Amino acid sequence: MPDMVSLDRAGPQQRQFNPYSDNGGTILAIAGADFSVIAGDTRQSEGYNIQTRYAPKVFKLTDKAVLAVNGFAADGNMFVKRVRQRLEWYRHAHAKDMPLRAIARLIQTMLYGRRFFPYYVYNILGGIEEDGSGAVYSFDPVGSYERESCRAAGAAQSLVQPFLDNQIYFKNQTAAPGTTHPKHLPLQEVLSLVIDSFTSATERHIEASVGDGLEMYVVLARGSQLQGLENVPNVQEMTTTSDGERIFIIRRELKKD
Amino acid sequence: MFLTRSEYDRGVNTFSPEGRLFQVEYAIEAIKLGSTTIGIKTPEGVIIAVEKRVQSPLLESSSIEKIMEIDSHLGCAMSGLIADARTMIDHARVTAQNHSFTYDEKIKVESVTQAVCDLALRFGESVHDEDAMMSRPFGVALLIAGVDELGPQLFHTDPSGTFVRYNAKAIGSGSEAAQAELQDKWHSKMTLQEAQILTLRVLKQVMEEKLDHNNVQVAQVTPTKGFEILDETKLKSVIDLM
Amino acid sequence: MDHFPTNWGRPRNDAFDAYGTYPIAQRPYNGPKDTFETGVQRTQQPIVTGTSVLALKYKDGIMMAADNLASYGSLARFKDVERLHSVGNNTVIGAGGDMSDFQYIQSILDSLMIEEFTAQDGHSLGPSEIHEYLSQVMYSRRSKMDPLWNSLIVGGFKDGKRFLSYVDLLGTTYSSSTLATGYGSYIAQPLLRKAVEGYEDVLTEEQAEKIITECLKVLFYRDARSLNKYQIATITAKGVHISESRSMETTWSFAEGIRGYGSQTQ
Repeated sequence: MPDMVSLDRAGPQQRQFNPYSDNGGTILAIAGADFSVIAGDTRQSEGYNIQTRYAPKVFKLTDKAVLAVNGFAADGNMFVKRVRQRLEWYRHAHAKDMPLRAIARLIQTMLYGRRFFPYYVYNILGGIEEDGSGAVYSFDPVGSYERESCRAAGAAQSLVQPFLDNQIYFKNQTAAPGTTHPKHLPLQEVLSLVIDSFTSATERHIEASVGDGLEMYVVLARGSQLQGLENVPNVQEMTTTSDGERIFIIRRELKKD
Repeated sequence: MFLTRSEYDRGVNTFSPEGRLFQVEYAIEAIKLGSTTIGIKTPEGVIIAVEKRVQSPLLESSSIEKIMEIDSHLGCAMSGLIADARTMIDHARVTAQNHSFTYDEKIKVESVTQAVCDLALRFGESVHDEDAMMSRPFGVALLIAGVDELGPQLFHTDPSGTFVRYNAKAIGSGSEAAQAELQDKWHSKMTLQEAQILTLRVLKQVMEEKLDHNNVQVAQVTPTKGFEILDETKLKSVIDLM
Repeated sequence: MDHFPTNWGRPRNDAFDAYGTYPIAQRPYNGPKDTFETGVQRTQQPIVTGTSVLALKYKDGIMMAADNLASYGSLARFKDVERLHSVGNNTVIGAGGDMSDFQYIQSILDSLMIEEFTAQDGHSLGPSEIHEYLSQVMYSRRSKMDPLWNSLIVGGFKDGKRFLSYVDLLGTTYSSSTLATGYGSYIAQPLLRKAVEGYEDVLTEEQAEKIITECLKVLFYRDARSLNKYQIATITAKGVHISESRSMETTWSFAEGIRGYGSQTQ
């Protein structure tokens, strides 16, 4: 039983408000030769609580750019909102949609601008470059970024990224004599890898932070073929212009337990 | 009672009853006192050229600077009060650098022109009891030349903050005659060299002195090499060709 | 030191530059300075607190419930506090957390509604707009390290559409067909999900009320900071209705038999 003396000895107590939280989930993007796939699960959680089974983490920015945001959801939503605002200002000032590479740099300057009170988010930007190639850019919370062929981030990054290293970069695989590993995989194969990544992450992640639903965005370069996308169940086109890049979304269920 | 014209000359931001801003109009007049400046756009790039008035044999003509670089893909030639242009060029340079810092791409020619023109109408402006940044309009007109994803372009700006895109444009004291000549000679399939020669020929017609490599300056912006001022040897070879 | 080159050597302060030649985003920030600069301690803790709020979607709209208790630590301090508040004719907000912060939120929302009303422009703020506004307020306060210490549920019905969403002191938002704050998110949310998910369009008001009172009862038995006096709000096509406070029957006789913890050691 605490008496006045021991209370006194405890000294002043200080509690600090923590402005951050971790809302779980996983995002992933893979670049093909003339397409890009950007995906994320739709669960939002805090600790072992599932807050909602449907909160999108992947956002269409323009007809050629899709942004996946993972980490602290409030920062993520605010960040996407501000990126979109900047894209619109740019469109008004320069009479064109911002190129993917410019969006990547913009995201860096926006993230680094908050270097000392960061947006606690990991961003992955996917889309089509001005030269028509599929591209993926990944960022850390304070703006370091690079262009890559594939990247996973979030709660199940440690499960998914090694799988992608093996399946996309063919790490620890030796090509058969006289053959080389392909530089880019076809869309069908990439979609299969994405789906496998998320079902596995849902199954194997220790905490309940991955699952419920999967949203996969596919961005196709100007003039490229559908590459079997027309036969994928639950595919929906989201393109707004008729002569540019095309965007599709594919929704899948994931386990809810 | 109808006020005379001079009544509306005092305030830089006072409209006359006919709806005119005299100070701005006078500023535009000031450009007509400046040396002749010419710009020509071709599919291969843009040429800008200025006359340097060498008023004294003791004057070092190389110190007359009327063509300036804004960015590696943007150049600018001017006529009028050259000192005024420094503020505008400075602004254009910072805008261009800021753009490439933020977006990792070269700013468009029109965007940098717009940025310069945004500055043009800030004379007489003051808010919150502060002193105005500029007391009068700029007394200079610019020919902004550049190459971006839309190809080679040439823009003209004047003290009213208006900007227009041209295939070929002459400003300054000899501009009327020069513009007429450009209208006559310009065609859409010009080569860069044809344009170089045309600018010098037109300048020669309107210049009082005999044209040589000391009293003209020529620059070009091309998709491959960007902005460059023609050096003495290059300039001499063009002069020899004309 | 101003590290923004466009401000160097300029005779005027861009703070008053109404016709700035730079994009707004690139102009220097002239608002309150760095949050951490002054060393002022803004961090607080909730003092007088409300506990769970429950809400669900049903056939005709949204149903929300909260008890009438405002606690002062472990003291049941105020037993007639209303934690459900209507905003306009289509929206109800329910609050857990600090009650003085909630009353402040009520007052800014009331001011907002009056301001919008006086515009007389034919627009009225619906639940989604109110939720968006609230989430901006909550997020900007957390970014100033001066949070409004609440978990809020916004429920509404407008233009034939149900709306149900959450926002808290961090600015975190989400929506789903059942929501619960505080202890309710542990205890009531699983019960609500089981009873509601998949049946949102068939549940009647009577069924919804039965589900929600059952959840309140479970909470009353398990959450030591709850009360058996509560209110239920419905937001439907007919508008907002917040019930009078009502009490529910509970029995504690079974507690006599509980052994192993609490005051009975054997």
